[in-house]
Amino acid sequence: MLNIIDRIYKKNKVKKLFPSLSFRVSLLVLLLAAFPALEPSYGQGVNPLGSDPRAARVGGSIFRAQCATCHGADAAGIESIDAPDLTQIFTRAGVSDGSVFQAIREGIPGSIMPAHTFPENEIWMLVSYLRSVGVSGISGQIQGDPVNGQSLFSENCETCHLVGGQGGSLGPNLSMIAAIRSQDELTNSVRDPSSIIGRRYKPVSIITTENEHIQGVVKSEDAFSIQVMDIGQALRGFRKSSLREVVYELQSVMPAFSESVLSNRDLDDILSYLQSNL
Amino acid sequence: MINSIRKIKTLLFGLSFLFSGNLLSQVGSGPTYEDLLAGFSDPTRWLTYSGDYSGRRHSPLIQITPENVDQLRSVWTFQSGTTTRGRGWEATPLLDDGILYITGSNNYAWAIDARTGRPFWEYRRNLPDDLTYGASAPVNRGFGMLGNQLFMVTLDAHLMSFDRRTGEVLWERELADYRVGYSATLAPLILDNKVIVGISGGEYQTRGFIDAFDPVSGERIWRFNTIPGPGEPGSETWPNDPDVLAQGGGGTWMNGSFDPDLNLVYWGVGNPNPDYYDETRPGDNLYTDSIVALDASTGELRWHYQFTPHDVNDWDSNHMPVLANVEWQGEQRRVVMVGNRNGFFYVLDRVTGEFLLGEPFTATTWAREIGQDGRPIVLNDGSLGCLPDPWGSTNFYPPTFFPGLDLFILTARETCATYVPEEPANTPGQSNFGGTVFIDAEAGYGALRALDIHTGQLEWEFRYPSPTFGGVMSTASGLVFAGDHEGNFMAFDAESGENIWHYQTGSRIWGAAAITYMLDGLQYVMIPSGTTLTAFALRTP
Repeated sequence: MLNIIDRIYKKNKVKKLFPSLSFRVSLLVLLLAAFPALEPSYGQGVNPLGSDPRAARVGGSIFRAQCATCHGADAAGIESIDAPDLTQIFTRAGVSDGSVFQAIREGIPGSIMPAHTFPENEIWMLVSYLRSVGVSGISGQIQGDPVNGQSLFSENCETCHLVGGQGGSLGPNLSMIAAIRSQDELTNSVRDPSSIIGRRYKPVSIITTENEHIQGVVKSEDAFSIQVMDIGQALRGFRKSSLREVVYELQSVMPAFSESVLSNRDLDDILSYLQSNL
Repeated sequence: MINSIRKIKTLLFGLSFLFSGNLLSQVGSGPTYEDLLAGFSDPTRWLTYSGDYSGRRHSPLIQITPENVDQLRSVWTFQSGTTTRGRGWEATPLLDDGILYITGSNNYAWAIDARTGRPFWEYRRNLPDDLTYGASAPVNRGFGMLGNQLFMVTLDAHLMSFDRRTGEVLWERELADYRVGYSATLAPLILDNKVIVGISGGEYQTRGFIDAFDPVSGERIWRFNTIPGPGEPGSETWPNDPDVLAQGGGGTWMNGSFDPDLNLVYWGVGNPNPDYYDETRPGDNLYTDSIVALDASTGELRWHYQFTPHDVNDWDSNHMPVLANVEWQGEQRRVVMVGNRNGFFYVLDRVTGEFLLGEPFTATTWAREIGQDGRPIVLNDGSLGCLPDPWGSTNFYPPTFFPGLDLFILTARETCATYVPEEPANTPGQSNFGGTVFIDAEAGYGALRALDIHTGQLEWEFRYPSPTFGGVMSTASGLVFAGDHEGNFMAFDAESGENIWHYQTGSRIWGAAAITYMLDGLQYVMIPSGTTLTAFALRTP
């Protein structure tokens, strides 16, 4: 095993990159991750350009020329070619400047992501850029009462949303949401949930040939079948030939919480609860 | 006892005599040029990428029909164990003597028993660590075959010849320096004593070409450069700058078709470099985004037609040119048809290159029409809303032509993209798109579309949930086989477009199109998908 690891060090030119450090590469992570967190070794690589805004600006230029065709002009990924959303990579456990540097330099084995021969400082500029467009979550500490927030959450949200291992799954898992969505975005999602509906949560109404009416969210679909989670949170698959009607709704299955239903203060309490959970 | 042994010996001797004569020279010695010319006439063979030189991918087989295709079932699968994430298994297998020869991602290749799916041999190329274009698209579209030789191009831009019985390498030649950005992915086109190949890497500082090699010696016979040299015809469509010409792009990464009567090879040429940024390359930029007709003996250009003059959208014209002899407005015409990445369907006279028809097949907003002179009347340079995305309104995956119905059937992609050019840094070995594209993913879908070749009008369509990259094949029994992005392999009634049968393969069908053949009296249909090659028939053999 050590021999294999040594060979990988050699192949990846790790010693040339970080001569003073000793590294261990997780072979499993290398093989499995779409954007690997090559911990702990590469995680110790520190971006010498830090958060210099000029580095991020030039890095953005390099990104648009070299990376955007696959990862999208906004670095948010292109699903149809499996190119991951890079604005969320730093929210993943174990991902660091060093591991991102390594992924750019060496590529992702077994994927379309190639190795790149850019000079080191240009790769660091790309890392700076990705940091700058990375989702950052709620900035600062929300002024609110997390205890009241928890009780409001269990009353209003928990049926459909999971936090800390408890809750439903019709809507997205909110355990980490305060780290990847801003206060404005989260407020908007509560007040007007239909304005932006995430993939895998698009609402649908179905009537079967046996006249069963089903509401739910689309998990997957092809020309002949559709896979949904119904509002009772059961996964259900249908052949389209067994359906009388499929209507793609515009209104999210999540109800809109207006200020008359949920005051700004109560909403802040909920957000403060979500933040405290991190 | 002794008597019986003697009898058996005599019998064996007789048999060996029989086999050492005519039979042995036919079985196992591989196809000749005459066999390749004969195309589909022997239903137990599929000898070229499209099945014959015309690029029509239309088989004469009739055992599987619209009436019985609903009984089609998988009879075996083969697992490649290698893939190109984000794309697919793009190769077309070749079939001879019951053996399939197929290439895969990352320059793997196999000989497989067509009856059972079991492998005879596997080849894996030891590729360098610093691949350029080849690293970003480690795909391959198939072998060429002549006699006992197979031909395959590689991600490090080499052409290789193999002994098809063993998978052993007979020779290899470098096409170009992969470190600059060159790579090769297509299925070689085999003619009489020529192996014709093209090159990938139009996003790098490359200059495209089409090469002909001697199959035995491996020596190069001719080269056609898709970007003219200084002072050569076509150079007037570029700035007077040798450096710009030397890196003008114009990849030739999809193989072509061939008309033996005219001795012309028809081949598509890719985008100019940089893709989106055009300040450095004013002019039409010949022969990018064109079809070229080359003299097969010399490689000389006989005629060309440019689909997208001065392209700024990465709309490579690397498509299989489809040849047919049809009645055209009252007279017999030898035509070549192309469904183009720019969203238009074209019919050209293939003797002269004369423009006959150009009609949109997607809701493209790029050009209002193609004028009488064959030049597009540009409606939207991108400032009036979105354009087809860089993957195009269709792409290299094969269409089919259904003679009699006179339908050109292709997979169309409806997409919506906004292009923002930006001056690129020019560095050898690094790709050079020259800008950014914003794609509205919500607005996209795919469709199988059948076009009347005389008018370009849509006769029927079948919609897919997302923009699709699957190829198409048809059979004389009235069937169309196609694959989609969600992984379905499907059969349609060619006349009505009705979907009759589908099979979920479990992975997107990307770049590949089906083949079909007869073996032991049974018609097989075959499609690669993901890492799996699946064979279908009406009953288990």
